[in-house]
Amino acid sequence: MDNLNLGRHISGQFNEDLERVINHVMQMGGLVEKQLSDALLAVHDADEELARKVHKNDYQINSLEVSIDDECTRIIAKRQPTAGDLRLIMAIVKTIADLERIGDEVKKIAQVALESLSGQQKDLLINLDNLGRRVLEFLQATLDAFTRMDVEAAIATHQSDTKIDREYEALMRQLMTYMMEEPRTIPQVMSVIWSARALERIGDRCQNICEYIIYFVKGKVVRHTTADDIKKV
Amino acid sequence: MISVSPKAILQSQTKLDLNNLSPDQVALEIKNLDLYYGEKQALQNISMSIPKGQVTAFIGPSGCGKSTLLRCINRMNDLVDICRIKGEINLHGENIYEKHVDVAALRRKVGMVFQRPNPFPKSIYENVVYGLRITGENNRRVLDEAVETSLRSAALWNEVKDRLHESALGLSGGQQQRLVIARAIAIQPEVLLLDEPTSALDPISTLTIEELINDLKKQFTVVIVTHNMQQAARVSDQTAFMYMGDLIEYNDTNTLFTTPNQKKTEDYITGRYG
Repeated sequence: MDNLNLGRHISGQFNEDLERVINHVMQMGGLVEKQLSDALLAVHDADEELARKVHKNDYQINSLEVSIDDECTRIIAKRQPTAGDLRLIMAIVKTIADLERIGDEVKKIAQVALESLSGQQKDLLINLDNLGRRVLEFLQATLDAFTRMDVEAAIATHQSDTKIDREYEALMRQLMTYMMEEPRTIPQVMSVIWSARALERIGDRCQNICEYIIYFVKGKVVRHTTADDIKKV
Repeated sequence: MISVSPKAILQSQTKLDLNNLSPDQVALEIKNLDLYYGEKQALQNISMSIPKGQVTAFIGPSGCGKSTLLRCINRMNDLVDICRIKGEINLHGENIYEKHVDVAALRRKVGMVFQRPNPFPKSIYENVVYGLRITGENNRRVLDEAVETSLRSAALWNEVKDRLHESALGLSGGQQQRLVIARAIAIQPEVLLLDEPTSALDPISTLTIEELINDLKKQFTVVIVTHNMQQAARVSDQTAFMYMGDLIEYNDTNTLFTTPNQKKTEDYITGRYG
């Protein structure tokens, strides 16, 4: 929060507006993290009740997105933010859009817990669980970097998405082999594939959030650039 | 569907390199300018190139020297006895502070509009042709043409064309300010200096003047001093931020208002304590 310098505006009301909106983003981040953690647990324990709860709670993330978006619109209309304040608002607007989409991906993951899988198929979930844990850590690191607006942490986190991509590819190869060997299981395995895909997409969205942190702190747009370019920021 | 190539979008965002303008891009070049009021130094070593056909804004807190710098450009500070100036301001490669420079001729090339509208207590027509008359122009046809052209350029023609011979003092504040701009551009200056031209106007008149400034840059180089940062962001191509007599940052407006290079600029434009 120190990087934000929120308390130094001459207008105390503006400070309060920004602090409020940032607190809401953190609250939304915490909720998304809890949802992902619950979805992974539901899949791991085949806990249908918890999976349904994850589905049901998604509305909270959606409502927070709408209300934060509204707060940002009001700040732009009333305060006409510039420089760091403007970049902060833009970063927030984009971050909450990605968090909301992460919430949607989490619902897809919870769906696996609602599928009836055979004992053999359940072995596939072990690898999905490993990927899930990796993505959860990635999301936590991203939200941590956002809370502290720590550009070094954002760059380091951004780079670690390649590990997720590698694990995802390995899992996909395994799932495809399984489907070729047991074509009758394709409908069930497909739901595992959608989950794996959802986890991989969460990784990409966390990367986006890291890019917004870099944009806010450094004022540099690093979207669609290489890992080397980002290191040079 | 409108199709715009990414290349065209990037080209439209190309900005001038203010440190490396070619001679034909420069309208005014300020070099190592120091200004003193008695013992007090009000401007310190100001150097900048103001590009031709663009709007350049000076912003900064009260007393930072932005109006003083603007007034240097047409030697208005000559009227202040205790004012001393060192350094150069070059117009067409010639220093306007050279001894042989005719100040009246300079002010024909560099027109100025002030904070409060100051029309003369004459008709609208006579206000516009005032500058031409004192240069000896009395041909009715030439004067009529200048009145229409100037009032059209100042976006005032349609509102006053049927009452050109009525008193200018009967116009609203916003109309008076546009009349003063018409008066300044009637003598076809190269540079137009605007010293807080909308600070005494209501928001609608302000927007009309801002729209006018955008049109005027097609014909003139415009330099504007404004207290209203959002106005600088809206109307200018380049912005210079001044603080306590120093030029802190001079950059293209888009960069200065989104990613300023200097912390002092950031603190000022975001309304933080210095």
